Amino acid sequence: MKTILGRRSIRKFTGETIPDEDVKKLLEAAMAAPSACNQQPWHFVVVRDKKTHGAIMDIQPYTKMLEKSSVAILVCADPDLQTCPGFWVQDTSAATENLLLAVHAMGYGATWCGIYPNDEKVWQIRELLGLPKQVMPLNVIAIGVPDEEKPPSDRYKEERIHHEKW
Amino acid sequence: MEAIEAIMSRRSIRKYSDKKIPEEIITKLLKAAMNAPSAHNRQPWHFIVVDDRETLNKVPEYHQYSKMLENASHAIVVLGDNEVQTSDFWIHDCSAATENILIAANALGLGAVWLGVHPHETLIEGTKKLFNIPAHVTPLGIISLGYPEETRPPRENYNPERIHRNKW
Repeated sequence: MKTILGRRSIRKFTGETIPDEDVKKLLEAAMAAPSACNQQPWHFVVVRDKKTHGAIMDIQPYTKMLEKSSVAILVCADPDLQTCPGFWVQDTSAATENLLLAVHAMGYGATWCGIYPNDEKVWQIRELLGLPKQVMPLNVIAIGVPDEEKPPSDRYKEERIHHEKW
Repeated sequence: MEAIEAIMSRRSIRKYSDKKIPEEIITKLLKAAMNAPSAHNRQPWHFIVVDDRETLNKVPEYHQYSKMLENASHAIVVLGDNEVQTSDFWIHDCSAATENILIAANALGLGAVWLGVHPHETLIEGTKKLFNIPAHVTPLGIISLGYPEETRPPRENYNPERIHRNKW
């Protein structure tokens, strides 16, 4: 519960490297997400190359924090892997949330930067990374060793809870 | 339960005991949900907490995969307000919130399963009708919750073929 309630978007990083074994743990967490009909339509592009980070920043200006990040993970889906069509966005979003929780649990920081459903950004990322034409990049997750501390946020709103009916 | 353990051991649980989930635990689940990230921090979510047996039993009348609700302690309907978030980001946001509920439920010793509603028109319509949902709000899914009467071992879903380095 502490991890879920303490997770914040972290945009300032020290520049230190996250070791490969830890990146593997993050991907294990992502792939433990539920998916419609257990279809697991996800693919992950793990980018450490700083030049590629720069190119991603040009495509998606909200990813400026990639500069001092250790790794960018693009959570993608191959819609052809769906056995229950229509759910790949939810599946990859769930995988992304698992990844963000694991990041926080391991003492790292991250921010979720949306790509899909912006057609132009999807196309540009696809071109940049050589994604097959049907593969959809949902987002870019910038991950690093945090250089800022943000206290748990209290976003609980009673007015968003309805009982029995709306 | 520690976070990584809660993530890795989470399974879909469809068999529940008679034990009712106390309200304080439901509140914890909702706090977890509302701490999900959301595009521009718009937090477009709403939640309907259902424990009325009659209402829970009505869901399987239009949703063929929801029979477990007849034995569930509670259901939580996760919805997005399309006026708070006009783009499709509400789906990403509400999915993240749903996943937080599932992880928190597992950490707290509950069993849960995510029942898809969006994007299936008939399921959206059925849910909107049953729960009196306003026009500008869309249900994403329904989470069935209870104390588990089945245990399922952690899965081995890690697939290195789904990992690409620097380029595809």
